[in-house]
Amino acid sequence: MQGRFYFWPLMGMLWFLNAGAVQGQENAGLLLSAAAQDSHQMNMGDKKDGNGFQHVHALATDAEGRTLFLGAHTGLFRSDDRGRSWKKVALTATQSGFDMMAVTPDPKDPKTIYVATHEAGVFKSNDGGTTWKEVNNGLGGMDVHGLAIDPNTPQKLHAAVREKGEGIFRTTDGGGKWTRVDDGPQGEVKVLTSVNMSTGMGGIFLYAGTSTGLQRSPDCF
Amino acid sequence: MGGLPTNRTVNGFAVSPENSKTMFVVMRDGLFKSTDTGASWKSVGNGLKNMAAVAINPKKPSEMFLSTLDGTIYVSADAGMKWKKQQ
Repeated sequence: MQGRFYFWPLMGMLWFLNAGAVQGQENAGLLLSAAAQDSHQMNMGDKKDGNGFQHVHALATDAEGRTLFLGAHTGLFRSDDRGRSWKKVALTATQSGFDMMAVTPDPKDPKTIYVATHEAGVFKSNDGGTTWKEVNNGLGGMDVHGLAIDPNTPQKLHAAVREKGEGIFRTTDGGGKWTRVDDGPQGEVKVLTSVNMSTGMGGIFLYAGTSTGLQRSPDCF
Repeated sequence: MGGLPTNRTVNGFAVSPENSKTMFVVMRDGLFKSTDTGASWKSVGNGLKNMAAVAINPKKPSEMFLSTLDGTIYVSADAGMKWKKQQ
């Protein structure tokens, strides 16, 4: 429990931690809203229906800034015209509609992209998003709410796993193997990002957007 | 410190590829920018609400993208100050 109650707030930023938050209040609203929309039919290209995303979780460009990737409740989408039109990206032959929690492009290699899903862990593409493989070896659970890539060392990533097997997991070989390193921040993680700022202790900072606000911690735990 | 609404869910976060001290947070309440690693925040992007995610073009950091929770995309050409709905 050290990570949860001590490391993130005190070593990181007590000044960001919003104590006494009513956890889950807003999330409950979001879940209800998503569930209510589940019955709506996908309607690609209809702007009024939000392109059939139902609920957006993540947005990122590749390392070249050419392709936008959008992670939504209904799957992964890509746009090559700066968000005017979207095409759905299939992660596997049988299942294209994973609930996408994070989209994390490699900052140096435009062909390499990672995504995190609510139900099937982490996927990696080495060909700009055409084909994908699961990279979940050692990951404690399949509900991954945040995925941060080290801007200096892109083989190093941190994943925030929720519920079963909950915690922060690290890989240093581009997803080949994950190891649990910390309990993680308070609240439900919505986004996890590595920020290129030295901690003075040999690492850089991880920032987490959560249901209780913004928190950060050195990543050298 | 301060400037971010308290006890609110942070949905999205992005940091400038040029300057790590400059970062953005999005939430239902809108878009917020910090230039001091998050110690203080200012509301930017006049009146935009229900934000889900924010992205910065790594090759051209003045170009930014926002998505609302339902997938409406906004684009900025001036590092997040002015936003235009993508048509």
